Amino acid sequence: MADATAAVCNLAILEALSGDAVQEISESYVGFCAATESLLSGIGDLSAGSEMARHVHRLCKYQLHSLVWEHFLTSLEENFERNGAVKFWQHFEPYRDISISEVDRSHVCDDQIQEVLCKALEEISLENQYQKKCLLVLVDALQTYKDQVLPAKCGAVTKKEFLLSKYQLMISSVLMASLPRHFPEILRWYFKERLEELSATMAGESTDHFDSQENDEMDVDGNNRMPSESSRMDIDGGLHGDFSENKLIKNIGKVVSDLRGIGFISMAEDAYASAIFLLLKAKVNDLAGDDFRSSVLDSIKEWIQAVPLHFLHALLSFLGDSFSYERSSDIKSPLASRPLSCYPGSDNLSEGLVRWQLRLEYFAYETLQDLRIGKLFEIIVDYPESTPAIEDLKRCLEYTGQHSKLVESFISALRYRLLTAGASTNDILHQYVSTIKALRTIDPAGIFLEAVGEPIREYLRGRKDTIKCIVTMLTDGTGGNPNGTGNASDSLLEELNREEENQENGAVEDNFNTDDKQAWIAAACWEPDPVEADPLKGSRSHRKVDILGMIVGIIGSKDQLVNEYRVMLAEKLLNKSDYDIDSEIRTLELLKIHFGESSMQKCEIMLNDLIDSKRTNSNIKATIGQASQTSTVSEDSGNSLDILDATIISSNFWPPIQEEVFNLPGPVDQLLSDYSRRYTEIKTPRKLQWKKNLGIVKLELQFEDREVHFMVAPVHAAIIMQFQEQKSWNSKKLAAVMGLPIDVLNRKINFWIIKGIIAETMDQEGEGHIYTLLEGSGDSTKNGGDGGSCEELLAVDDEGEGSVASVEDQLRKEMTIYEKFIMGMLTNFGSMALDRIHNTLKMFCVADPTYDKSLQQLQSFLSGLVSEERLDFKDGVYYLKK
Amino acid sequence: MASVNAQMEERYQGNTPAAAPIPKQPLPTAKCVDTQSVLKRLQSELMALMMSGDSGISAFPEEDNIFCWKGTITGSKETVFEGTEYKLSLAFPNDYPFKPPKVKFETACFHPNVDVYGNICLDILQDKWSSAYDVRTILLSIQSLLGEPNTSSPLNTQAAHLWSNQEEYRKMVEKLYKPPIA
Repeated sequence: MADATAAVCNLAILEALSGDAVQEISESYVGFCAATESLLSGIGDLSAGSEMARHVHRLCKYQLHSLVWEHFLTSLEENFERNGAVKFWQHFEPYRDISISEVDRSHVCDDQIQEVLCKALEEISLENQYQKKCLLVLVDALQTYKDQVLPAKCGAVTKKEFLLSKYQLMISSVLMASLPRHFPEILRWYFKERLEELSATMAGESTDHFDSQENDEMDVDGNNRMPSESSRMDIDGGLHGDFSENKLIKNIGKVVSDLRGIGFISMAEDAYASAIFLLLKAKVNDLAGDDFRSSVLDSIKEWIQAVPLHFLHALLSFLGDSFSYERSSDIKSPLASRPLSCYPGSDNLSEGLVRWQLRLEYFAYETLQDLRIGKLFEIIVDYPESTPAIEDLKRCLEYTGQHSKLVESFISALRYRLLTAGASTNDILHQYVSTIKALRTIDPAGIFLEAVGEPIREYLRGRKDTIKCIVTMLTDGTGGNPNGTGNASDSLLEELNREEENQENGAVEDNFNTDDKQAWIAAACWEPDPVEADPLKGSRSHRKVDILGMIVGIIGSKDQLVNEYRVMLAEKLLNKSDYDIDSEIRTLELLKIHFGESSMQKCEIMLNDLIDSKRTNSNIKATIGQASQTSTVSEDSGNSLDILDATIISSNFWPPIQEEVFNLPGPVDQLLSDYSRRYTEIKTPRKLQWKKNLGIVKLELQFEDREVHFMVAPVHAAIIMQFQEQKSWNSKKLAAVMGLPIDVLNRKINFWIIKGIIAETMDQEGEGHIYTLLEGSGDSTKNGGDGGSCEELLAVDDEGEGSVASVEDQLRKEMTIYEKFIMGMLTNFGSMALDRIHNTLKMFCVADPTYDKSLQQLQSFLSGLVSEERLDFKDGVYYLKK
Repeated sequence: MASVNAQMEERYQGNTPAAAPIPKQPLPTAKCVDTQSVLKRLQSELMALMMSGDSGISAFPEEDNIFCWKGTITGSKETVFEGTEYKLSLAFPNDYPFKPPKVKFETACFHPNVDVYGNICLDILQDKWSSAYDVRTILLSIQSLLGEPNTSSPLNTQAAHLWSNQEEYRKMVEKLYKPPIA
């Protein structure tokens, strides 16, 4: 074939040739072909070279260069295809099936594959090398001819390069064309194994503890770990670490350069890159795990420096320094003798390595970030402990900038796990606060927080007890979070205040130091807002995440919050038996800071009432002393007046108080009127109006064999007092004496039945129940077992009714007037959205009780009506229930 | 009661000619005051209507205009209109309550005194109007008109003829009744 082409090509020249010349050409061509043949087939024997050179010279004389090298290359290709490629691939033939099933592969034939790969590469490299030598012979021959003819050497080098590159191309195309599908897989796997080995060796170099830990982890994972590795590691560990690592890298380097030699540059790179990434990912997963209490980013970075970069560095420098194989044996990795710490600073960090480092770090950041984002919900659940994880995430996000990923994933986690009917409002609120705190670290500007917080706020608005929970959480650290971690004794408000003080202190310092230099630094550190920022919300410096503000934002207005607090405060104050209100005063002061003096005015008056009460109370007590000296008449009652402490309230400023009418026992009633008489004497125009159902009575019940102490509501005390004279009561009669409806009495007396003080039996005549006092400590009774003086604290009544009308009840009452309007407009307009109802009420409800409720209040009222099945709510509009 | 109201109307009418010779300038202010009082009156009527709790009648001002109301009447029990619901529109004039509001059926109503356009022939809405009437009484009158039509001067003759046959009439009402769309 070569002849034919040559003949065609040189047609024009042929005509100019004489017969002798033709003869000579054909002779030397045949000679050349034969020489080529013998050169290529002769193993390691280049003796045919001189013979060939002669023919080449002769052919060149007739300008047949191209013919010469084309034929030579074709022969090389044929030879390579026959000897090199086929043999090469045959080595890997046994692993064709194994490579498919990943599981078994590792244990069976790791060593084998490694061996085979090395051997095959060595063989093919030898072949390759030899062929190259042959090519060089030809090049030499061409060269010498050229030197004879033309003294100028200019074209020579390019010719050689041209031929070599042509040859390289040919080799790799031959191999690529016959590439079996499993070969890249084998390569990738080979690198993975080697890298793991290397990583294990590295780990062996560090402390024993780390070593064993690493071992454990690998055992648990069962990560393609070969049985021989641990033993080898033990041998190589410690002192021999450097040596073995060096050898290992050299081995790998050899493989890589062999692969390069046969033109598999990109494939080799792919293989070790993917191996590195795989290993890195596994490492990140290993290190990060489910423990949020420690920062892992630095150790990951260290690891990147220690293992993959070390490896790459060694590899790249190995390849760079030793492209020729002769020197590979005595090359010493520059890293082997060098401590790792000075590694990043070393100036032989090539550009490629830097690029690798950036790539690896980005990958590590991204992997860790994905991992952390996936677990963000859990991280925030253990927030104060998980701060390191949050810090990690923050740094990752700064690097990758994938904040939106966080927002999306976290919102869906929230919806799935938190915002469900099963979660208590308290838990949601606590998670909300933790979220605020945690995200504040990640994103000080609060932009992503805005997005994440919205679903929570939206959800909380739909819950009835939200306000109550918020107030409890704000003012009362213990009550708000029953199963809470951390310092439960502090309320959220205290915490907020502390934080604020810290911030302010910081700010003050800033101000002091402000000079031109500082200003310049500040200007230099300026960063633009993230793109997602809402420009309407002002710039970063003006936006500070205000936890309290965000919590109040759930409710809509601070007035509602203040109102709820007032009700709770009233409840708390009314249940106090001493006048100790220090903690309430402190809370109030804190609230004043946040909500302003004027809105807390009523609460302040309530507290002042308590203080005044204390004073008045002691004044009245003082008059008793005088009275007992002057008149002996009132001495009897005067003594007992000591046991009475009154809380005098200015009812205008207190929330409406629930009235309950019942008769107090005579002596007590006497006491009360005595007290109010004395009060009137002191504060003349004023009179006391007793709220007999409020307050706390400390009781001591004496039985034949025991004493029992109680703190109960007045009504309970009044009931039990009736049993002082008469051991057994018919329920109807008792109700009449008490002035209570019979069902109320039955409910109230349950308290004593539960305590085992009173027994309930049915009346024979069917006239209701008979209540009998249990005089002896019955064996079955719970208090008898305690053996006497146990003090029982009264919690809120069983029915859970407080002494103060709750905010919902108040709202409910006020809203009934508007209810008719709402019904009226819905009758005529069919369906209306919340906004429209609100606006219509505002527009037309201007008469006597002007409509002054907020949208949220209206909404909660309407949802109350919906739950009573009087309204329907669908697609954002309300209907009348038909 | 009626006589007192009639007097009021007369007095009002008597006033107008007296006001006529006065130069035109103060007139707008007078009108403005009037509007204020009309507003007040309508507001108190609304309040009264809402608080009255009459069943089967209701009305409410449209979103931005207290002079335009929507009303709802349900047919009284034991009449042929039982179980039906009709929408009305009430347009109050600026000199309400001295002039009656314009009341129309918005839903088609097959009734001797209601024409196909929903116009109602009811004396208190025309010549027998008195300022003592209010939205509530108007609605109640229309509700009772449904059950007791005045067949002597019908707007819808077909309905007037059919009225004598209550069964057929009921069928007709059911056939023509379209429940108002929300």
